[in-house]
Amino acid sequence: MQDKIVEVNFGPQHPSTHGVLRVKVKLDGEVIVDAQPVIGYLHRNAEKLSEMGYYPKAQIYVDRLDYAAALNMELGFVLSAEKLMDIQVPDRALWIRMMMVELNRIASHFIWLGTHGLDMGMLSPFFYCFREREKVFRILDEITGSRLLYNYFAIGGVYSDVTPKSLEMIKTWLSDFDKNLTEIENIFKKSYIYVARTRGTGKLSLDDTISYGVTGPMLRAAGKKWDLRKNRPYLHYDQINFDVPSQQAGDVYARMLVRIEEMHQSARIVAQVLEKLPAGDFYNKKYSKPMLVRIKATGESYIPTESPKGEFGIYLVGDGSAIPYRFRIRSPSFANLSAAPAMLIGYKIADMTATLSSMDPVFGEVDR
Amino acid sequence: MNLFFFLMSILYGILKFLHIDFVPFTSHGYPIGLWIAYLIVAVVEVILVFVLAMLVVIILIYVFRKYMADVQNRIGPNRLGPWGSLQLIADVFKLIQKQDLIPTAADKTAFRVAPYLVFTPVVIGFMMIPFGNVSLLNLMVINFNYTILFLVATMIISPVGEIIGGLASHNKYGMLGALRAAAQDMSYEVPMLISLISVIILAGSFNAQDIVIAQRHIPFVVPEFLGFIIFFLAVLGKQVFPPFDLPESASELVSGYNTEYSGMRYGIFYMGGFAGTALASLVIATIYFGGWEGPIFPGTIWLIIKAGVFMLIFLLIQVSVFRVRVDQFLDMGWKYLLPLSIVNLFISVGFALFAGGVF
Repeated sequence: MQDKIVEVNFGPQHPSTHGVLRVKVKLDGEVIVDAQPVIGYLHRNAEKLSEMGYYPKAQIYVDRLDYAAALNMELGFVLSAEKLMDIQVPDRALWIRMMMVELNRIASHFIWLGTHGLDMGMLSPFFYCFREREKVFRILDEITGSRLLYNYFAIGGVYSDVTPKSLEMIKTWLSDFDKNLTEIENIFKKSYIYVARTRGTGKLSLDDTISYGVTGPMLRAAGKKWDLRKNRPYLHYDQINFDVPSQQAGDVYARMLVRIEEMHQSARIVAQVLEKLPAGDFYNKKYSKPMLVRIKATGESYIPTESPKGEFGIYLVGDGSAIPYRFRIRSPSFANLSAAPAMLIGYKIADMTATLSSMDPVFGEVDR
Repeated sequence: MNLFFFLMSILYGILKFLHIDFVPFTSHGYPIGLWIAYLIVAVVEVILVFVLAMLVVIILIYVFRKYMADVQNRIGPNRLGPWGSLQLIADVFKLIQKQDLIPTAADKTAFRVAPYLVFTPVVIGFMMIPFGNVSLLNLMVINFNYTILFLVATMIISPVGEIIGGLASHNKYGMLGALRAAAQDMSYEVPMLISLISVIILAGSFNAQDIVIAQRHIPFVVPEFLGFIIFFLAVLGKQVFPPFDLPESASELVSGYNTEYSGMRYGIFYMGGFAGTALASLVIATIYFGGWEGPIFPGTIWLIIKAGVFMLIFLLIQVSVFRVRVDQFLDMGWKYLLPLSIVNLFISVGFALFAGGVF
């Protein structure tokens, strides 16, 4: 019996591990009998590097955690730092942040949807998703000046104000976003093969989900309606109408439905922000430039935020100097990945790519 | 009359005219000029068929790239030659230049042989397609009584090359790909052959030319619609693209059986896949849609139109579906296609018994 089992190293160089994940898989024929994820191939020491400079300097490392949704990462850091330093942020900056974060969430989910199609063996949705993502990037580029790693939020506000032109761009983009997304999602939802392959694949029960610390769309797909934007509102999410999508099945198909509905809801939030965007300063004028805050801080702070992958936050400890004493990153992909063996064992190797891709891990964030 | 003997007799006439003809002192007693003519015609025809197959592959890959780009909002190849038509030639030269890499642990002979086992049978298959019928002349390179059986045999042998390649490369992904190729191979071949037998029963002949002629009134797709669906799905299972590209499946097994292949060896696998698609389309057009039979236009054009439609259908499927899981494919083969093909066989026997005069 033993000699029938083949051990395969799935990754780190493999077309569908979304970076540098390595999974040590033991196969009995096509069936997975054991799977152990091995991480650390993209370790860049982000936590320790962030503890070596002034608070604002940590932001470029935070940007590079989840490079698919850099603004969401920045938000977690900026909120935590502002709480630690007790800095007031103007209202307009909060609304701008909310809009930017949702735009970036849409971009991140588009990457996921495209690569998910690729992992399931269909090349075409990848191009459609990247076309739509490009439209989001044009807007982000117009506002922040860069396309992937923005360094746009700052302690005390945002780096630059939104221009009327960019608001016009968002309006044009919003007008046909839902239609375009529905076209793409129908490729998945109406495909008999896709549904047959993903229903019941990579199942994780709600109890397991909670005990592994899995958050975000994977938790919502398992039946728990838990969204930090609703349950622990930060910014101005309590003043905005949006639904938290959830599914009961906890499989790959449910995760796909949840993420796609989230994109629709994000677009809804952006539309509401456009209506409610108040006039005023975009950063706290007490500080001459938002990027150059040299504030000594004491105490500790942690504000959980809902990043596209799940609960993200940065635990900051200040020792009275202008440099953080401890900079601890709570990254959702890392916690989600710990549930991988539970979702993989017992399924076929073909299900493995589907399950891994449904977790949407980003390795900048897992390995930090 | 066969094309082969037609060309041979012309050449023999020329040789006789040039007085290169005498009866040697052998037990056979054939004139030596006949042997020379036989040899020359055989070599020329093999070269012609090879060129034809390569031409079809080149056109198919170009159309595939452009079509796929169009579906995916891209432009596709557009730099080399008019509309990027020379891109494939450049690709082939690039592949030939590449280092010839064979893994140290690989079984070197089997590793070298495998790509040709995929590609060569397809070219042989092209020789048995009836391309037309000009008065008394069969446009068919090889014509004997069991053409269609041999033709399908060439289609079926190519997964053996995939299995050998995957096992010889001493790679775990290659091995998994080879095992998948073996499992998949068996599950589609049996229904495919049984639905082919139904056609043979209706036509009353194993000869491809006779099968085409038997469809001069009604193409076999009409009485054999179920068989056509089964044959189509089985042939789709043989193709190297989604939904049934399980032995290769790029996102699961890296590249399956050809993981360790690079350079021109990989290129031969790649071209073999497209040649297989072309051959499969020609076979479907021949045995279900009347081959070269058709009004007004010459037969060859009809065959090209019919096969071309199927090639486009294959390309359309390729860009618009996900990949099935291997057990789902095996289920389809053994649980649905096989029983249905047996049912179809009985239906065909009924047709042949009670309405045999129609065909």
